[in-house]
Amino acid sequence: MNFSAKQILGVAVFLLVIFVGVPMFIAATGRWDFYFTLTSVALLAIASAGVWLTFYIGRINIGQGAFALVGAYVSAILVVKAGWSFWISLPAAGLFAALVAVLLGLPILRLRGVYFAMITLVLTQVATLTALALPITNGAKGITNIPLPSGVSLFGLTLIPDFGQLENTRMAFYFTACILMIITYAALYRLVNSRLGHLCRSMQQNEELASSIGVNITYIRILIFAISSFFGGIGGAMFGSISQSVYPATFVVKDSVDFMLNCFLGGLGYVFGPMLGTLLIYFGWDLLFEFGKYQLLIYSTILIVVIRFLPDGLLSIRFGKGEKK
Amino acid sequence: MSALLQIKNVTKKYGGLTANNDISFDVAENEILSVIGPNGAGKSTLFKMISSFVPTTSGEVLYRGERISNLKPHTVARKGVVRTFQETTIFKSMTVRESVVVAQHLRAKASLAGYFWGSKTARQDVESFGRYADELLEFLGMDSIADELASNLPQGNLRALGIAIGLATDPKVLLLDEPFAGMNHDETMRMVDLVRSVRDERGVTVMLVEHDMPAVMKISDRIVVLNFGEKIAEGSPSEIQNNEKVIEAYLGSADDEIGM
Amino acid sequence: MEQILANGVYLGSQYAMIALGLTLIFALMNVLNFAHGQMYVIGGFVTYTFYGQWGVPFVLALFMSCMTLAVIGALIEKYLFAPVIKGSSREESTMLLAAGIAFLLDALILLVFGEKQRGVPKIVDGVFNWDFRLIMPYDRILICVLAILSIVAFIALMQYTKTGRALRALAQDRTAAQLMGVNVDRYSMIGFALGAMLAGLVGGLLVTITGINLGMGGPTSIKAFMMVMIGGAGVISGAIWGGFILGFLEAFGLAYLSQYGDITYLLIFVSLMIFLAIRPQGLMGKPWG
Repeated sequence: MNFSAKQILGVAVFLLVIFVGVPMFIAATGRWDFYFTLTSVALLAIASAGVWLTFYIGRINIGQGAFALVGAYVSAILVVKAGWSFWISLPAAGLFAALVAVLLGLPILRLRGVYFAMITLVLTQVATLTALALPITNGAKGITNIPLPSGVSLFGLTLIPDFGQLENTRMAFYFTACILMIITYAALYRLVNSRLGHLCRSMQQNEELASSIGVNITYIRILIFAISSFFGGIGGAMFGSISQSVYPATFVVKDSVDFMLNCFLGGLGYVFGPMLGTLLIYFGWDLLFEFGKYQLLIYSTILIVVIRFLPDGLLSIRFGKGEKK
Repeated sequence: MSALLQIKNVTKKYGGLTANNDISFDVAENEILSVIGPNGAGKSTLFKMISSFVPTTSGEVLYRGERISNLKPHTVARKGVVRTFQETTIFKSMTVRESVVVAQHLRAKASLAGYFWGSKTARQDVESFGRYADELLEFLGMDSIADELASNLPQGNLRALGIAIGLATDPKVLLLDEPFAGMNHDETMRMVDLVRSVRDERGVTVMLVEHDMPAVMKISDRIVVLNFGEKIAEGSPSEIQNNEKVIEAYLGSADDEIGM
Repeated sequence: MEQILANGVYLGSQYAMIALGLTLIFALMNVLNFAHGQMYVIGGFVTYTFYGQWGVPFVLALFMSCMTLAVIGALIEKYLFAPVIKGSSREESTMLLAAGIAFLLDALILLVFGEKQRGVPKIVDGVFNWDFRLIMPYDRILICVLAILSIVAFIALMQYTKTGRALRALAQDRTAAQLMGVNVDRYSMIGFALGAMLAGLVGGLLVTITGINLGMGGPTSIKAFMMVMIGGAGVISGAIWGGFILGFLEAFGLAYLSQYGDITYLLIFVSLMIFLAIRPQGLMGKPWG
């Protein structure tokens, strides 16, 4: 893998902004609430990365809210009821979401286009209703008072401090979320540029031809859907931990639609599209708060204008048509 | 002459409609065999059954004595029997070279995880894919358009791209779906030479479905003729040309279907 | 039992109309209209404004609902969907556009009609009571009859008029319809307007019973998607089946399952997924893929 000097510089600047620039800015301006906002952006960007990946095999996924909810509940239940450390519950939540994705994917991944989109949308609703109905999720009351992540130490060396003891929990969560996001996107970038990514592209463009050259499309579809849902589960679990509570309405249909819009707004042809999309949609929405009751009107108008005039997403302005990042 | 591919009593029914009725013939190693017949004779259906794109109603297809019908298309491809499509079925937003590289994935030695981490085997694979793609494109005379997007190619090149994708999988048997359709005389002759050299230089057994009679006569070692889902004749091009049943079938069908 | 069946017919007739509009738009343009629920809500508010606030006769108010939605639908098709369908290579774009339009309509509803729950006076008083075996307010019966009449009228329109034939040709094969001389652009617009109008009509009918509020859009869309999936997308008979099946399931669920909490819809969803695993094209849809 050879990176150009420009790419390396870009990544370095990005890391510097996230880990040095933002904390300095916040310390200087005293806008501590930005930590929470940016943490949310990072976590939602992780879930959006999963949706982007399903787009990459030509499936419109409006069900990521369901997997984020599953992840949030699994982690919360493991921490609260089974007394696990949050750091073990986090991958467990991701894996559980992936397992659910495999079981559901077997039947529903046969559907294409609009049909898959509709069924995944319904899936989000199913997740919410299931959370309401099951005893273990505690119905509409949800799971509250989730303890903050505990510390992890190895041979007396503190690897991760106990979040409850920290002075600045918000900053700790911010750093954690950013690290997770960077790992997610690095993995996504590798995946897309490795053989699996090429096979996905071949499936996205023509499933018949792909299977004629020996691609096991069923297997790859399920694998991708599982990875996608793993990201959703991780994002959701971390989100639950930060807000210290999970309700059936923590992730609803609107969130699933937002995940999809994040991917689209950034550009479906670009790995880092969903990250940018999430940032813009989240911040854009917050900034428009100033306009009071016109918030939704302006937001939706901008959205429609972008779709109308930039059908390949915002990154297409810089990179031009067809070029892949 | 040993049979590489055996089609044994293959029948396909769609509801009450019989697309293929009890068809049997063999394809020998290293031969070029064409299946011809008027429109609606069941050629495409037969093709799809051989490549397991549709299941047979009864009967089976054997490759080196092993059943390949009623499986999944990708399993059949992995065994070495690969089909091509007509021109619209391509990877639209990949370049010619990218398409040929991705089609080589069956030759990969490293696992998907190996590629993810960038293992040594994976790097070697990537290198060898690239080399082979260049070699193959040169062989097919497509090196000058290697970096064109598939969607920008003219029709004639699309057919060649389809064959390139098929060949990249390193098949033993290549099934070509109407490789000459919509081509003028010169293009057809070039394609005939190309298909010949695929067989002669790469040792690939070729089976094709085609309308274009002159081309079929020129290219084929043997020909199988279908009409209304039944096999009505089988033999060398000269035998077929003089077969009364075949002439009747072609004259009896709609005028615009006569290719002779 | 009679009561449950009657409730099923009542719910089913409303649902079938909603599903018909959605499936019509889908069949014509291959667009999943996320904003369908919002169109329903607008229809409700328009009837509320004319009939509930200004005292215009109910039938006239209903007519205004239909007209408003027809105009909105036509404008959306002409200025948003048509250009995006032409300009984009990705199938996803229209779906995202539909999501954007759903937000936009929500925003407009909020600005024009506010976020309060609104209701209108009953159109007819009294309750039909058959020996306490079947109790049904007269207004519900009237609405149900009107809905069924509308469905019949819609089918007649599709079967026997020139417009209907053109729309059906368009739904079957766009290119062929164009070759046959159907003005594709014009009929796409008419079809979209007609689909939106159906949503508005149901909204106008139901405001007299359930009232209307901003939050009803999203859930209505989801129900409509389910009906379309049950029946098979893009098929008229499928939409009607889907509507009535969902209506009956809901009626039975409310009668027998409500004591276990809110699990009716969970069960419906789960059975829908199992059903689609076995029959992805729905009841009436044609196999595809």
